[in-house]
Amino acid sequence: MSDAVSLWGIASAVGILTGLGVGFGALLGAVSERFKSDEHPLVEQIDALLPQTQCGQCGYPGCRPYAEAINEGGALNKCPPGGEATIQALADLLGREPAPLDGKAPEALQVAFIREAECIGCTKCIQACPVDAIIGAAKQMHTVIEDECTGCDLCIEPCPVDCIDMLPRSTPLTHWQPVISPAASVFASDRTPANQGAE
Amino acid sequence: MTLSFDFPGGIYPPERKVRSSQASLQRAPLPERVSLPLRQHSGRPAVACVSPGDSVQVGSLIAKRNGLISAHVHASISGTVTHISGNDIQIESDRQDTWHTLAPLNWRDTDAGTLLARLDESGVVGLGGAGFPTPVKARVIARHAIDTLIVNAAECEPYITADDITLQRYPDDVLEGAQLIASLCGAEQIIIGIEDNKPEAIAALTQAVGRSQPVSVTLTVIPTRYPSGSEKLLIKTLLNRTVPSQGLPADVGALCHNPGTLLAALNAVRAGQPLVERIVTLTGDAIARPGNYWVRLGTSIETLLTHAGLDTDRLSSVIQGGPMMGETLDTLKRPVVKTTNCLIAATHAELPSGPQEAPCIRCGACESVCPVQLLPQQLHWYARAQEDDKLERYHLFDCIECGACSYVCPSHIPLVEDYREAKSRLRYQQIETAKAEHAKHRFEFRQARLAREEAEKQARRHARLAQTKPSISNNRADAAAHPAPSTMPSANPQADLRSLRIAQSAAKAAVRKAEKVLAREAQQAPHESHEDLETQLATARENLKVADLQLAQARENAQISTEDSP
Repeated sequence: MSDAVSLWGIASAVGILTGLGVGFGALLGAVSERFKSDEHPLVEQIDALLPQTQCGQCGYPGCRPYAEAINEGGALNKCPPGGEATIQALADLLGREPAPLDGKAPEALQVAFIREAECIGCTKCIQACPVDAIIGAAKQMHTVIEDECTGCDLCIEPCPVDCIDMLPRSTPLTHWQPVISPAASVFASDRTPANQGAE
Repeated sequence: MTLSFDFPGGIYPPERKVRSSQASLQRAPLPERVSLPLRQHSGRPAVACVSPGDSVQVGSLIAKRNGLISAHVHASISGTVTHISGNDIQIESDRQDTWHTLAPLNWRDTDAGTLLARLDESGVVGLGGAGFPTPVKARVIARHAIDTLIVNAAECEPYITADDITLQRYPDDVLEGAQLIASLCGAEQIIIGIEDNKPEAIAALTQAVGRSQPVSVTLTVIPTRYPSGSEKLLIKTLLNRTVPSQGLPADVGALCHNPGTLLAALNAVRAGQPLVERIVTLTGDAIARPGNYWVRLGTSIETLLTHAGLDTDRLSSVIQGGPMMGETLDTLKRPVVKTTNCLIAATHAELPSGPQEAPCIRCGACESVCPVQLLPQQLHWYARAQEDDKLERYHLFDCIECGACSYVCPSHIPLVEDYREAKSRLRYQQIETAKAEHAKHRFEFRQARLAREEAEKQARRHARLAQTKPSISNNRADAAAHPAPSTMPSANPQADLRSLRIAQSAAKAAVRKAEKVLAREAQQAPHESHEDLETQLATARENLKVADLQLAQARENAQISTEDSP
């Protein structure tokens, strides 16, 4: 009966299990090293909540860098274009306390507009635009593609002749919001109105 | 007559159809001037192709369709174009009423392409209310197998009798139009769904059905219950097929057309007559001569109602469409358009304004009448609280806005108005999200482009240095003068090479993935724009170029350092 619990049996079991542990550990370590990803899934989620104006008002060069900063513990309240709604959404996602907005939220959605008669064709605004929404060439008039403009106003400051205005964004007819009139409910004709029934 | 199936819910509002269905069909007088909106259909507005001062005839093309889902607009009177704005074209009549028609076609021996082109040229759209371009609907055969064409003659809304009169007066023509559309979409049967409150139309159709060739036509009389005329519910009633959530009737092999649309399609083909007039029901207690009228498009609603004997003292509101789903007009200066099927000039006694809204008592009456089995009171709470994710989870977008819930609500809550508002808010949010996503891709592309330009600049500088180096190294054989390694600050060039190789293969994989996604989407939806995916692909390509350049440079450096080290 002695060989049922022989030293050799115990030693081999311990040896095999240790070997398996070491083997799989090494495999996992190698795989994680080999397929290491720089991207953080949480950064993606934070980035998706930001308004993508790429305006840099948060102090970071674009929405993605700000998302990375938030992921590393940066403040949530530095995005004026997003406003309170974005702060709330970020706080919900990250389980942090929402803080009041640092800065002033814009009143209406705006886009840049170049007064073309005054443009001298210096291309400075083209270089400043984070989303390539300005077309033009050196010594040629420039213009803003309204549909692509995010209203970040980064082009205002570099303009040497101050020919760029921020104007309210036009709403195409297809984006029209119906005006719902509270008056004239046409459904009530066939019933006794509630107050008359009580009399 | 075949068996009909049942749909859940529904209501029985007073019909009030007799007033307009008793009078015979008349022609409204030719208007002195018309105002033709560029957008009388769903989809994009048409683009004007005439200029002020041009003289036009009835049926002359005045605005061309813009894009796939859009429709032409034709002059509805002969005369002179007086004004063109961004929204409409105005024409002053010369009282001649000269027509400009296209060549008549016999659809039975004309090929489908010509017929579709004719429907397109004639600006035919669905006349039931939504105004979807008919040629686009007929082309559905390219992507779906259609076995049944349904003639939607249910006309379940109170007051409206335009389809009823159309079927009474032109039963053979409507069926001929149905045969035409059936041949275009390859339907094997035609079913007419009609509510049992239209005995004259049913009698006329029963006689006409036997004469209709070649596809077999079935007349199915369904019980009168609002909203049986809703496309999806009619398909359920007639075929017992359920159109999937957010799906189209074509998904279950059916296509629905309004009788008026079929008549217009037949006129466009057989008589070469573009869509310039339609039958409109004029009704309500505030007009003296209610009935159905052939009306030229663009006629002012005020002129039309005055012709029908409008009593302005008794008038309280004018509704375009039916009382359940229609729209209360704030001005009578608007024109009749392709989708105007009914105008109700109501007195105050007829349609009094509703009593004050009271809080929801959770009685559940709305839920039992909802024909699409939603939970109206839940939607009401979530719409008021703006809980948008919950609204979508409770299938707000499947609401057909029939108004049955508002009709039965004992608290007089305008439920449908809440839903419309919530729907438009959600649609707006979707547009904004798509815009943000688009801006993100443009930003990423710009970053990648700048990185690529930087890497190219580095490579050029490197090449210049490599050219000038031999002369320098002749003078000073000292290896310490190598400026190249200074661009590679790392102490371990081998490790750098490896990480750059990994970066390059990752970039390659990203390009392949972006190409695959774009190809798949382009195949699935060939008509839509894939601008964002194209931007993503371009970004991946730029990143790959950067990785390639960096790797090539690092390899060169490694080579130099191995040459130098012995």
